[in-house]
Amino acid sequence: MIQQLETDGVPTLLAPTGGPMRAGLTFRVGTADETLARHGITHLLEHLALAPLGTADYHFNGATAPIFTTFHMQGSEQDIATFLTAVCANLTDLPTARLEVEKDILRTEWSSQGGAASDDIALWRYGARDFGLSSYPEWGLARLTAEDLREWAARWFTRENAVLWIAGDRVPEGLRLTLPSGTRQPVPAASSALPTTPAYFVEGSRAVVLDAVVRRRAAVGVFADVLERELFRALRQDAGLSYTTTTGYEPRGDGQVTLRAIADALAEKQDAVLGGFIDVLAKLRVGRIEQSDLDAAVAKRVEMLATAEVDAARLPDYAVNLLTGQRNLSLDEHRAELKAVTLAELHEVAQEVCASALLMVPDGTRADWAGFTPAPTSSETVAAGTTHHSRDDDGRLLIGPEAVSYLGGGGRLTVTYAECAVMLAWPDGARQLIAPDAIVLHIEPTLFDVHPAAMNVIDAGVPADRRVAMPPRDPESIPQPRAVREIREYLARPKRAWWEVLLMVLSGLATLAVGGFTLLLVIGMFIDPELDGENWMWGVVAVGWLLTVILALPIVLLTRGRRR
Amino acid sequence: MPAPLPPPDFATGAAYPQVSTARAALAAGDWSALRALVDAQDPHGRTFLVDHVGDGPEVGEFLQRVYAEQPEDPLAGAMLGAHLIHAGWRIRSGLRAQYVSREQFAQFFDHLRRAEQVLIDVTARHPEEVAAWTQRVTSARGLEVGQAEARRRYDRLAAHQPHHLPAQTQLLQQFCPKWSGTWEKTHAFARECAEAVPPGAPNAVLVVEGYLEQALDHGNTAATSEFLRLPQVRGQIYDAAQRSIWHPEFRHGWGWVSVRSVFALAFCLMHEWTPAAQQFAALGNLGDDWLFSYLGDGPKEFQRFRDKAYAKGGRP
Repeated sequence: MIQQLETDGVPTLLAPTGGPMRAGLTFRVGTADETLARHGITHLLEHLALAPLGTADYHFNGATAPIFTTFHMQGSEQDIATFLTAVCANLTDLPTARLEVEKDILRTEWSSQGGAASDDIALWRYGARDFGLSSYPEWGLARLTAEDLREWAARWFTRENAVLWIAGDRVPEGLRLTLPSGTRQPVPAASSALPTTPAYFVEGSRAVVLDAVVRRRAAVGVFADVLERELFRALRQDAGLSYTTTTGYEPRGDGQVTLRAIADALAEKQDAVLGGFIDVLAKLRVGRIEQSDLDAAVAKRVEMLATAEVDAARLPDYAVNLLTGQRNLSLDEHRAELKAVTLAELHEVAQEVCASALLMVPDGTRADWAGFTPAPTSSETVAAGTTHHSRDDDGRLLIGPEAVSYLGGGGRLTVTYAECAVMLAWPDGARQLIAPDAIVLHIEPTLFDVHPAAMNVIDAGVPADRRVAMPPRDPESIPQPRAVREIREYLARPKRAWWEVLLMVLSGLATLAVGGFTLLLVIGMFIDPELDGENWMWGVVAVGWLLTVILALPIVLLTRGRRR
Repeated sequence: MPAPLPPPDFATGAAYPQVSTARAALAAGDWSALRALVDAQDPHGRTFLVDHVGDGPEVGEFLQRVYAEQPEDPLAGAMLGAHLIHAGWRIRSGLRAQYVSREQFAQFFDHLRRAEQVLIDVTARHPEEVAAWTQRVTSARGLEVGQAEARRRYDRLAAHQPHHLPAQTQLLQQFCPKWSGTWEKTHAFARECAEAVPPGAPNAVLVVEGYLEQALDHGNTAATSEFLRLPQVRGQIYDAAQRSIWHPEFRHGWGWVSVRSVFALAFCLMHEWTPAAQQFAALGNLGDDWLFSYLGDGPKEFQRFRDKAYAKGGRP
């Protein structure tokens, strides 16, 4: 059983455990509360709060998720008390001296992340905002100041916006949660970048990924298990097309659940994995759900509820439910709800899943034939402004006082300055603007017939708080129009040494002189029959030709040597 | 002097009276009669009838209505899917892709997508409905969903009906280079199907279809003949004939007219007039001009070759 207490004004959850004590302090704040221009602020704050704790030999860590941030630890009662007390103290009095170091650590963390197949799904569904931000790099880090962090901490890391959870027999002695007072923060409303669902987008990672949003209820977890069993049977057991087929789900905190399913694919089989995946979804959507799958899924979940550590294990989820105002069930209620799940309810979930589906399909495949609409990759509107032509193709840049558009082969891309989520600015003049619907407009001024003054219109239009300065680029990596590339290639071509040129000229002249003389001699001999009679003249001709060849040798050798 | 031969009858209804009955029921809007007729056939016959419902607009309207009323009836969905695919393919025409206009392609894909979504539901509800799976093997090709996906669909079908010739013929097309396959894959699949069936079954015709596709790809009759007469190719065609049309167990079941017509064309192109004439004679007044149309006007070519075979190979 989970007991609910209070520690220094913070709701506290306590559940028994047979193992070492574990505890966590969870706040209702995460990446979904940020903006793209300040993306990373919560993660940075989490790192700063832990930084002074150094490399002590504890098992502690922090985690920043879309809607919550947790500091947790496993250890002795005393260690846990010290750890959580210190975290709270650091949050109220930020160790800002470490700010730049921690930023660097975060940048390294980002660049060393492998990246999962499904990383980009969030931005396709939600855009460059709230729940979509988890797809993006933490571009906000660069401009964040100590003051920004203090404000962020004062707003979100408060007593009212926190829950303490402890797997153990009591609240550790000496634990002090010295947090400022504030208010419980609501979960942000989820945006949408999809005009219609079911939708799909193409991304080449040799996997098919399903993302769906459904109303939260016990049947969703059961459905996820049923789907996994179906995918396993269809894609692995029967056809040997996939190696891994998994499903998972996560409450979004607003009464909805995000459900994910992934099936990997060999390059030459990815079209069949997609087809098989779509057929599995169709089977469940039309309600052909096996009773044995339902029974197995319920049994597995009920069994999980019967383990000794179940209350301790569900503490983190319980805390998030409390913070987001979602219902928390007792174990008996859980069991009863699971056992009450019917095939009809699963069918209903299946229909919701299919209706809200966003499918990520591998490069070279599409899903429009199965009724999925392509997710937008271009903008609805076009900016009114001055036209600047591309130097290489028929692409056009339209720079206006309120928005900028690119019209080219890939369709039209428009970003309105006032709504711009972020503008990445490189010192060499390149700009990348990202619209709230995740449309990306990347401008390389070198590739357009565009004056710096026109680029200033963009810079002036985008609100200063959306601008993120990027580090200088290697000049070699700045793209250049074809004409410039060709001139550079010409100038950079290998050059001959002066003596080579001299030798080639001399040898050319000598060849011409001797060769010319010999040729005239031969012609003369044909014209004048008297000369023809002289045998020694033929000797002169032979020697002349031989000399010509010898004199021409330097040219031939030098030219061939250069080509090698 | 023998009396001049009447022209062959290419109408499907002439060879298979059930097709005429089915079309009459469709025209009369008598769904229960149509359903009873189709349900009485074996799987090959069921697929055959579903595939021959016709692509006229009034047929489409009727099937749309039946499917809307009875979405769980596998036959209604399969027939509607087949109808949409045929209607789409008629818009596209049988020409190679470079001769098909943008607008034609757009309408073709639109028809195929609509068909596919109906058929996805049918096979989801009734995975044993091989007539619908056969249509999905065809739509896979038109929608260009990929070689592995077409094969997966066929495998789903084969799990219920292992030697389903109509679906095998469709998949063989998919494996041809013109649909992004290879000749190795084409011939391997044809052999795989031919060797798996009991003696006398018609499936060995796939081997001949594969070689005819490759031979006719040469573009001129001389090269086509030369290819088919290569000892190894000729041997495979003879072996296929022994397994099917020349086998005492060979029966005039569903699709037999097409099988004999394909062999007849192969023998003609190989200049083996006697066996060709035997096939034309066995066909009587019937014929299927499908592969003959690769050479020009299908019915005319059929008749021309039949006359030539009778003249040179004798009329048995």
